[in-house]
Amino acid sequence: MTDERFSSDTHRYLDGEPVDLITDDERALADRLNEAVASYARGLEVPGPEVDRAVMAVISSPARRRSFWRWFVASHVVMVRPALAAAAVIAIIAFSSLVSMRTFIGSESAREIATSGDSLRTVLVRFEVRAPGVQRVTLAGSFNGWDATAIGLTENRATGVWTVTVPLAPGEYQYLFVLDDDRWIPDPTAHAQVDDGFGQLNSVIAVGPRGVVRS
Amino acid sequence: MMRLVLLLIAIAALTPSAGYAQGVDVGEQLLARGASAAFADAVADLVATARGEGLPTDPIADKAFEGWAKRAFVAPERVLTVLAELATRLRAGRDATVTAGLDPPPGSVVAAAAEALGRGLTADQVRAVIEAAPAPEVAAVGLLTASALAAQGLETAAAVKAVEDAYRSGRPPEEVLELPSAVAGLLAQGLVPADVARHILEGGQILIPVTPARGPITDLPRPPKRPRRR
Repeated sequence: MTDERFSSDTHRYLDGEPVDLITDDERALADRLNEAVASYARGLEVPGPEVDRAVMAVISSPARRRSFWRWFVASHVVMVRPALAAAAVIAIIAFSSLVSMRTFIGSESAREIATSGDSLRTVLVRFEVRAPGVQRVTLAGSFNGWDATAIGLTENRATGVWTVTVPLAPGEYQYLFVLDDDRWIPDPTAHAQVDDGFGQLNSVIAVGPRGVVRS
Repeated sequence: MMRLVLLLIAIAALTPSAGYAQGVDVGEQLLARGASAAFADAVADLVATARGEGLPTDPIADKAFEGWAKRAFVAPERVLTVLAELATRLRAGRDATVTAGLDPPPGSVVAAAAEALGRGLTADQVRAVIEAAPAPEVAAVGLLTASALAAQGLETAAAVKAVEDAYRSGRPPEEVLELPSAVAGLLAQGLVPADVARHILEGGQILIPVTPARGPITDLPRPPKRPRRR
């Protein structure tokens, strides 16, 4: 913006350039303005060196000052090696399976017998059923809270026999096979079949310290 | 650092709760499995009543889970009826256990006694098994074994005597759990449960095998081999 009361030479004079064509009145006004500006500048408080040091400290170490929450919600680029990721997934699944099995084995409802304070001793029990033509076979029983989705059997396609091996603590267990999620059938090789109270039969095995002999 | 945090988050997301089967309320577990609130509340009430009477509650919870798992062909009302019957049997099992001298009765023994009563053993037979056990904490083993033998078709008197004999043989108490496997082996050889029971009641033994793969050992005469069909 240009002030109309000053000539261009007066503006040059205010900027500190040597000029001769301004009037004495203009020169006097300009000098008063310069003096007023200088007086105002002298009244300003100049920051000391400690302010510089504080600002530089913040600039030089931004990570230390950043909060965890800001880091947590911000977007990041993560480099993953597929081999290491696969190994981590396998380890996590194995760990979670172990915790899950320990949970069920530790339940008294599974009728397991803990003797001599050795409650973690288990024996491997193999379950098998011939069921050709079905898409899915699972094992549900008192050893897994009757969860019909937790223990899946693997099929030998040549024979139609589905099998799974489960670690069990010594004790007595009731169980059934579940075919295609909706057909519950007993195990013909179990030690016995008992009334489940609901009008059907449950299979029974007694797992000894050395395992199970089936008929 | 970032990778470690991501790994910990993944583990936390994938690891099932260790308290899922034990510490969590049975009603909450049923709700988590998709049961209706009315059914879960009714089961929780039964469990609370049993707990108030000092009965073991795990058998009731286990039966409730079984009933819910079989919901495709078992109505919730039927499940609740069975749970009430089980609670009654647990009371009878507790009474038999106390009468046998275990007071306060261990929950595992009460549950096993109830199971044995449900398989046809009398209260006197339950007491006999408990009294034959070398220690209170292993009485449940004998009761469950006798229950399994009865379920295999042996007379309950023979089942009880087999367990008593095994206890008195001096072998580790938990090895009585091998008896059903031994009997299964004998039945697989062609014997019938009545033969095995009579042998036991006449003083014979069902010896626990050293290794299951070698089959049961007994002084029972083996049945004659059937001629092969051609």
